[in-house]
Amino acid sequence: MLSLTFTLAEPQSFALWEKLLLAALIIVSAGLFWRRFGVVLDRILQSKKDPGFHLGNLARRVWDFVSEVLLQSKVIRQRPLPGLAHAFVFWGFCAFALVTLNHVAAGFGASFLSPSGAFGRFYFYFAAAFALACAIGILGLLIRRFLVRPRWLGAKLSYESGFIAFLIFALMVTYLAAFFTTDDAPATRVLWWAHTLCLLVFLPIIPHTKHLHLVLSPATVFLSRGGFSDIPPLAGDEDFGLVAGQDLTRIVSLQAYSCVECGRCSEHCPATNTGKILNPKEIILGVRAYLNDIGPRTDEPLLGKYNSQEAVFQCTTCGSCEFQCPVGIEHLPIMIGLRRGAVNTGAWEDDYGAKLFNQLERGSNALGISAAERDKFIQREQLPIFDGTQEYCLWLGCMGGYDPKGREIVAAFARVMKHLGASFGVLRKEKCTGDPVRRLGNDLVFQQLAEANLEILAQSKVKRIVTICPHCVRTIQEDWKAYGTPPPIEHHSEFLARYAEQLPKRVQDKEKIVFHDPCYLGRYRNVYDEPRAVAATAGEVVDPPRARERSFCCGAGGGLTFLGEETGERVSHVRAQELIATGASTIGTACPFCNSMFRDALGASNQPAPQLLDIAQLVARSLPATDSGEPGKK
Amino acid sequence: MKIIVAIKQVPERDAQVRIDPTGKWMEEADVQFAMNESDAYALEEALQLKEKQGGEVVVLSAGPERVGTTIREALAKGADRAIHVDADNLQELDSLSVARLLAEAIKPESPDLVLTGLQSDDLGLGQTGVILAELLGMPHASLILTVEKTDSGLSVKRELENGWFQTIELPLPAVLTIQSGGNKLRYATLMGIKRAKTKELRRIAASELAAPPASLAVLESIALPQKQRSTQILPGTAKEAAATLVEKLKFEVRVL
Repeated sequence: MLSLTFTLAEPQSFALWEKLLLAALIIVSAGLFWRRFGVVLDRILQSKKDPGFHLGNLARRVWDFVSEVLLQSKVIRQRPLPGLAHAFVFWGFCAFALVTLNHVAAGFGASFLSPSGAFGRFYFYFAAAFALACAIGILGLLIRRFLVRPRWLGAKLSYESGFIAFLIFALMVTYLAAFFTTDDAPATRVLWWAHTLCLLVFLPIIPHTKHLHLVLSPATVFLSRGGFSDIPPLAGDEDFGLVAGQDLTRIVSLQAYSCVECGRCSEHCPATNTGKILNPKEIILGVRAYLNDIGPRTDEPLLGKYNSQEAVFQCTTCGSCEFQCPVGIEHLPIMIGLRRGAVNTGAWEDDYGAKLFNQLERGSNALGISAAERDKFIQREQLPIFDGTQEYCLWLGCMGGYDPKGREIVAAFARVMKHLGASFGVLRKEKCTGDPVRRLGNDLVFQQLAEANLEILAQSKVKRIVTICPHCVRTIQEDWKAYGTPPPIEHHSEFLARYAEQLPKRVQDKEKIVFHDPCYLGRYRNVYDEPRAVAATAGEVVDPPRARERSFCCGAGGGLTFLGEETGERVSHVRAQELIATGASTIGTACPFCNSMFRDALGASNQPAPQLLDIAQLVARSLPATDSGEPGKK
Repeated sequence: MKIIVAIKQVPERDAQVRIDPTGKWMEEADVQFAMNESDAYALEEALQLKEKQGGEVVVLSAGPERVGTTIREALAKGADRAIHVDADNLQELDSLSVARLLAEAIKPESPDLVLTGLQSDDLGLGQTGVILAELLGMPHASLILTVEKTDSGLSVKRELENGWFQTIELPLPAVLTIQSGGNKLRYATLMGIKRAKTKELRRIAASELAAPPASLAVLESIALPQKQRSTQILPGTAKEAAATLVEKLKFEVRVL
C-alpha cells in the first residue's frame, strides 16, 4: 500500500541469516576494496618524500579544500553544465554519508536515524532532495558520455564509467523509491537489499578505476604544493629531477593516481590542439601506468615506454592543464621534472637545445648576440644607467635588450616612464634570467644565471625592478628564490595601471583592441585587469573567445621559441587566427615573446593583418609631441 | 684509444677587454673566462671517438689557478681525468715555450692521439698544436673537421678554402688541430658537474716540467681595434636596393 505521508520506509527487522549475509558481503566488499587500495596507498607511500614540502599555510590549504572540493568551484566554473551535474553527484554523496551509515546500521538492527524523529525526518527529506539532484546529475553525465561523446573524454567509450553511473543512479532510485512504500511491504526489503548491493559492488570498483579520485582527490587538493608551477628543489647530489621511479615523490604519485581522466588538461593544451604528440592527460596516466607496472624506488627510466621524451619537450609550459585540473594535479612540476631528468643527465639530445644551453653557459643572452649590441642599444636610446639612486631598475631582458621588436617595446615604455616622471635606470650588464633553461630543465645553467644576476643586482643596489617581460617577472620573483632574495619586481602593465589616470587618453578614432593574455602574466601571476586598464586608455578593449584564465598560448613558452620547427600546426598561427577573427584593428600584447610569435604568424597570414602593439606602445603613441621625439632616431 | 685534448682558457666572448698598465696584457680582474671555442670542438671530437672506440680522454690545460673551472667543465662534459700545468706567466711565453710545457706533460702519458683547437680565440697564433706535434715526433694534420678511426690509423677531413675539403689518412699516434663547427657541441649537465668532482685532476707546476724556456718571440704590446664605420646605406626602392646589394655581394665581397 502506498504511504501518502512520504516517509522513508525501512525493513523493521532482519533475520539472522540476513545479518550474517550482510556482514559477509561487507567483509568481501571491503576486502576487495582494500586489496587494490592498499597497493595504491603503498605505491604512494613508498615514493620518495617531497623535498621542500611542508604543511605550512593551513589557511590556504583549507580554503582550497573548501573551494575546490566542497564547493566544486573549479569543476563548475570551467565546464558549467557537466560541472554542475558533477557537483550535484558530489553533494549527493556528501549528504548521503549519514544515510548510508544509518542504512547499514539498520541491517544490524542498530538504526540511529528514525523517520519519526524530527531530525531523522528532516534529514531523510534533505537527503532525498540531494538524491533527486544526484540522480538527474548522473543521468546527465551518462547522456554526455554515451550520447554527446565529447572528444576529450577519450575516443574509447568507458563502459566501467557507464556501469558506475548506473550504480549511482540505482543507489538514488532505491533510496527515493523507499519513500513510496511502507515498512512492512515486501518491496521495502527488496529495495533495501538492492540499495545495499549497489553500495557493496560500488565500493571495490572505486580503487580499480578512475573513481579512485573519490578517495584521493580531496587529499591531493589539500596537499598541493601551493604555488603555480611550483618546481621543487633538487635534494642532494643524486637528484637530477624525474629520471626513474626512485625520483617519483609522494605528491607526484598521489597526483598520478588521482587523475579522473576528464581531459580538461588536453582540451586546453596548445600542443594537443595543434597535432603534437603531447597530451598532458596521457603524461599523467603514463606515470600512473609506470607506478602500477614497475612501482617507485626503481631505476627504470620514466621516459621511454611509459612517456615519450619528444612529448615532454613539446610543452610550452602555458599551464592551462595545471590551471584546469579539477583534482589538484600539478602538471608543470611533473612535465618540467621529466625534462630536468632528461637534461640534467644529458639524455636529451637536441641541436637547438644544446646550442641554447651552450650560448647561455658562455654568453649573456638566449639570442646568442654579443652583449656589445645591448650597450649600443642603450646608448642609441639614451636610456639612463642605473646608479643606485633611481627608484626603478628597468630590466631589459633578452628580448628587450636584443630583439628589434622587443627593443621598440622597451623604448616605448621608457618614454612613458619619462613622461610620468618616474626615476629609473637600466643595468650596464644583465644576463638572461634563465627562464628558458629553467623550463627546459637545465638546473646547471639556471643556477649559474640566477646567481650571476643576483650578484649584479646586489652590487648595483637595486631596490625595485620593472620589466616588459612576464617571463622575466616570474623567473626573477619565484624561481630565483632557490638561490637568494631577489628585489621586488613588477610587470610594466602593473606599473602603468597605477598611473592609468595620468596616461594620455586617445580620444579620436576609438580603435578596437583585442588583448591577448600572456600565460606568464595571467595564469602564472593572476594579472588580468591591469593590462586591460592600460590598453583601455588607447581604445576599446575586447576579449578573444579564449581569454584571461583560459587564454590560449602563443607557442613561445617553455623554451620552445628557441627550439626547432614544431610538428603539426603552429600554435602561434592558431592563436593569431583567433585574434584576427575578432575583427579588431589592433592586437594588444603584454609580452615580447607573444609579440614576436604573432609578428611572424601575422606575416604568414594571407588576411589583412591587424597592427600588433604592446600595451606600452599603445600608450606611447599618444604621448605629447615634446615627449615623443625619440632620441637617437633620425 | 687514449686521447689527450689540450685546451686553453680564454676571455669570454662577451668580455669587455681593457688593457692593463703594462700595455702587454689585459686587465684580467674584470674578465670572465671560458673554454677556447675550437678546443671545445676538439674535446667533442675526442668524446665522440671514445664513445665509438672506447678508451680514455685526458684533458690538459696550462695556466693559472682560474683554468681549473674550464678543466672541470671538460670533465663535466665527459673527459675521464685532467692534468693542470700550473703556470702564471703564460702570456709572456711564445708558442714554442707553451708547446714545450705541454709536450713534457704529454710524454709520460704516451697517448694514441693528441687533439687541440686550431687556434686560440685570444692570441690566435695557431702554432701551438703544430709545434707540439714536432716536439712529440708525431705526424700531424691541421684544420680538421671530422676524425674517423681506420684499421691503419685515422682518416680525417680537412677544411680548405672556398668550400673545398680534403680527406687524408695518417698513422697513429698523431696530433690533430681541430676546426670549429665539425660537430655539434654537447652541453654540460648537472650530473656531469657532480661526477666531475670525483674525477682525477693532477696539478703539475710548470717548473717541474722543463727549465724556464727562453721565448724566441716577445710580446711587445697589445691594442684594441680602432672603431671604424663602413656602413653603406643603399638608396632607392626596395627592388633597386636589393639589386645593388646583390651586385655588391657578387663583385665586391664575392660571397655569392
